[in-house]
Amino acid sequence: MALMEVKSLASGYGEVQILWGVDLNLEKGKLTTLVGSNGVGKTTLLSTVMGLLKPRQGTVTFGDRDVTNMSPHARAKAGMVLVPEGRQLFTTMTVYENLEMGAFSSRARANFKQNLEKVYDLFPRLQERAHQKAGTLSGGEQQMVAVGRGLMAEPEILMLDELSLGLSPLLSLTLFETLVRLKGTGLTMLLVEQNVNMALAVSDYAYVLAQGKIWLEGEARQLMKNDEIRQAYLGVVGH
Amino acid sequence: MLGQLLSSLTDGLLLGFVYGLAAVGLSLIWGVMTVINLAHGPVIALGMFGTYLLFLKGGCNPYLALLAVAGMGLVFGFLIYGVAVHRVLNAPHLSTLLATFAVNMILIGVGTAVFTTSPHNIDFSLGSLEVGPITVPATRLVAALGAILFTAALYLFLYFTRPGKAIRAVANNRKAAELMGIPSAWILALSFGLGTMLAAVAGGLISTFFPFTILSGGPYELKSFVICVLGGLGNPLGALIGGLLLGGLEGLIPTFMPVSWVPVVEFGLFILVLLFKPSGLLGAK
Repeated sequence: MALMEVKSLASGYGEVQILWGVDLNLEKGKLTTLVGSNGVGKTTLLSTVMGLLKPRQGTVTFGDRDVTNMSPHARAKAGMVLVPEGRQLFTTMTVYENLEMGAFSSRARANFKQNLEKVYDLFPRLQERAHQKAGTLSGGEQQMVAVGRGLMAEPEILMLDELSLGLSPLLSLTLFETLVRLKGTGLTMLLVEQNVNMALAVSDYAYVLAQGKIWLEGEARQLMKNDEIRQAYLGVVGH
Repeated sequence: MLGQLLSSLTDGLLLGFVYGLAAVGLSLIWGVMTVINLAHGPVIALGMFGTYLLFLKGGCNPYLALLAVAGMGLVFGFLIYGVAVHRVLNAPHLSTLLATFAVNMILIGVGTAVFTTSPHNIDFSLGSLEVGPITVPATRLVAALGAILFTAALYLFLYFTRPGKAIRAVANNRKAAELMGIPSAWILALSFGLGTMLAAVAGGLISTFFPFTILSGGPYELKSFVICVLGGLGNPLGALIGGLLLGGLEGLIPTFMPVSWVPVVEFGLFILVLLFKPSGLLGAK
């Protein structure tokens, strides 16, 4: 059963159209990866899915609701949560306050304590740093806050944009292990990653975005063996 | 000589707290949504008239009236935000400047029609306090205390309540706040309401010891700008301290030179700070 469905979505900025009819089906409980070369519109797609950008065409359905015209905060409240590219933390606020803000909606606030325990269990470092300003943390710790804050929102679907960007291979690996643990709890996730090898290794299903459309899709394991995929994420295809 | 100096310094500092309160309102709005609220002055004046009317027609104690004025200021700020600010918030700064300036002109126009521009005053006194050579009108002392209370309440609100923290989150990163389920438009309206409330309360406090007209807010608005630049725009604590600094100067200058020099020194200082420390004396970066 599809938890989130994107149908012929078209979007862009000003005069520039970037997406030309994208279709996605995110299965409940599955980890899906969106692959594509730089500048192909992956972040644009996530922004449009979350309502930060208005689509020119197409629909986004979440559960059985058409959310295409909902505001981003209403989508978050409904359970669609994006951990944005570049972390976008509340840098002048403490780690704890960042987590509190993640649990802003009434639905998430109801289970604040349990969720906080879960987040601290996944990232013990955050408990140590709870009262430090988020802007003073290292890049890896900031990414943990970003993911932790997203989890505090009690997502039904968690979308992660460029999780490993700018992090050391070791830290990236740790974060990917966290994703695997989260998958084990039945969380539905959509991962956008430049580290395609790692992303495909942990994913169930994958889409390849090229020239503003879905160019290929399939089981992640099968796509990993595909020569064209290797070319696509190296940037040979898609321009 | 020393006694007189101390007296006028105390006078100035007490007034400075109230200046600071008005500036905190301006600074809050700037800090959250980078809007310079040019309707700040008339709102201060409306705070004066609100207190005046409740006192004169309602027979209310002016300090009790002030609480009502605070509530009305909050609602009024919501209204200004909804009508004039929200739609132009993401447009270039000039649009929000013109929008709040339009509100400024409307308020002054309506205020002039209703109250005329002749001076009003609240006939109210609490006597005065004498400490050694210093004589202080009690209304000024209470006004300073009121300003401190409201500033402290704002601080507690911003740091210890959920909507307060949401205000700080929206100020820090509006997009991320929206992604976390925070309805940013409501939070912006609330911030604008709070900024307006503080301006109205400052006006109400001033009305207990100075006569005023509908145009009286103007000079306080300008002082708020100077204070915000002194303290660092967007930094509420800096605004309060900037207010004290300005108040102290205003108290001291007239003992050394004619009163008409006060704005010259104030705005001279304003330009010097802009030239040499544009982030404000207390600004971090």
